[in-house]
Amino acid sequence: MSSSTTATPPSRLSLFWHKWRFHINVLLLLIPLGFMPKYFSEAALFRGDAGLGEREVGEVQVGPWSLRLAEFRDEAPRLNGPVGHMKHFNAALCQSCISQVKATYLRIGKPRSLRAAGVIFFGSPYRMGALLPVPQKTRPDAELWITLEGWDGSMHQASIPLSQASPATVAWLKSQGNRP
Amino acid sequence: MSKKSRSKLWFLVHSWLALPIWFFVLIVCVTGTLAVVSQEIVWLVNPEMRASKPSDDAALLSYDQVVAAIKQAQPQTQVQSIVRPDESHFALEVGVTYPDGRPDKIYVNPYSGIIQGSAPTFNFKGFTRALHGWWLVPFTNGYSWGWYLVSLLGLPLLASLVTGLVVYKRFWKGFFRPTLRIRHGARIFWGDFHRLSGIWSIWFIAVISITGTWFLIEALLSDNQISISSAPVIPVVSRESVPLSADGTAPPQLNLDRAIEIARQQIPGLETSFVSLPGNAYSHLEIGGRGWYPLMFQTATINPYNGEIAASRLLSDRTALEFVTESMRPLHTGDFGGIWIKLIWFFFGLVLSMMVLSGLLIWTKRTALATANAFKRNQKPSREARTSSLLQPSIHRESPEGNL
Repeated sequence: MSSSTTATPPSRLSLFWHKWRFHINVLLLLIPLGFMPKYFSEAALFRGDAGLGEREVGEVQVGPWSLRLAEFRDEAPRLNGPVGHMKHFNAALCQSCISQVKATYLRIGKPRSLRAAGVIFFGSPYRMGALLPVPQKTRPDAELWITLEGWDGSMHQASIPLSQASPATVAWLKSQGNRP
Repeated sequence: MSKKSRSKLWFLVHSWLALPIWFFVLIVCVTGTLAVVSQEIVWLVNPEMRASKPSDDAALLSYDQVVAAIKQAQPQTQVQSIVRPDESHFALEVGVTYPDGRPDKIYVNPYSGIIQGSAPTFNFKGFTRALHGWWLVPFTNGYSWGWYLVSLLGLPLLASLVTGLVVYKRFWKGFFRPTLRIRHGARIFWGDFHRLSGIWSIWFIAVISITGTWFLIEALLSDNQISISSAPVIPVVSRESVPLSADGTAPPQLNLDRAIEIARQQIPGLETSFVSLPGNAYSHLEIGGRGWYPLMFQTATINPYNGEIAASRLLSDRTALEFVTESMRPLHTGDFGGIWIKLIWFFFGLVLSMMVLSGLLIWTKRTALATANAFKRNQKPSREARTSSLLQPSIHRESPEGNL
């Protein structure tokens, strides 16, 4: 640039800006491009490519029956608006107990009765899901209780430590300072 | 302010509305256009999705017959929902779960009950809608910020329509004397194109911008926990009304066709284009379809043990406000009257995309060149520097808008 004779030469930068300022919005395309891997991994998760969920908790024996429990996402409970923090668990009933089990429930802490058994699972017995509310003041050493109700009117319960069901949730609870 | 300078101001506003984000607007228009016919594109690519008739006099299977056919082919597979798409050339879409815990959507022939295949792993329909609707930004707590980003475009689009009509003097004359000059250079051609397609798209741009703005309002309402819904919360099936069984297995549930019959007796005119089976022992069977007003669905929630209608959501249950707000989405997507409405939406979607592009071309051919020239001249402190100022009101140069 032979601009030595100019009093106030436009800088290279401002020339560049003037030439391209209305094309910079092309960069907004980076947003969907950046989220694309996330989008496809989510689609695969919902399609069940990774099994019941991101982290399999394992088989839990509940009386005569058993179920396979999994964390849908291997992460802390998600804030769900005014409802509070929710943790998504998936479960599958054992093949032989599908015809006998009427309902499956999940609760933090021991339920006092069947009517307070917690959240009920929805969906096929091969893959059912439940959104468990996890209050921020939950103690990290709490127990997760699974209640199975039979068509014959029977009820069976089992519990596993929350730390076994979801280490991410316990880590999150600890980081909440366990406020009373 | 004089009439002339006011027009010039409107013109400037019109020019600047989409300009700094033209590419974003363009991609949103193009993906929206694709999303309108995404189901048809999958149909074209994927023969398994087609509902070919085995013979001319073949009759449609009932829901129970469909369930029975699936049970026979795959005894272990569990059926969750059955959707009969609006257009008869689409196969039934059945939501199922396999014993290994994998959920799937399968295409079932509505005449023979044959399972024609599974939905492709890459969900083109879902992908184009996610890209168009929220720029793929995930929803974590409430609406994603991508949703806000896209739905905010409804406002400049609406403003573009209004300012465009203001600066285009006596635009209605364009209906009677359409002008599209091809031999007068690119600038003239794109200007004519922009105006001509603009006036023919007035209704469409209004529909898309208003419904798009509604999506913004909808997100704002939801994220602030404001509900305008009059739909009641339906309680679960009570413990008492679930029959006990002596042998410890599930009591029989009503078959689907019987449940539909019961519902139709009580709700005359209830269409049943989808069935959603109970999610557990205490949840209901839900059936529904379009009512006489094709933009909204009517549903009935049925107790699967005794056929009692626990709740229904009919057109007459909606408030006047809900008639407006619930119509917004189908009006935006063009999904309410079969393939022809979709093709009209698709065509005008293309036109709208071309308007964004032509608007940009007009701008580059006029203002950008003039600005760049003026800029170059600025570098030489000769007499051109003085003349460069003459280029500033560049909208006057050889353009029909010069007559403003």
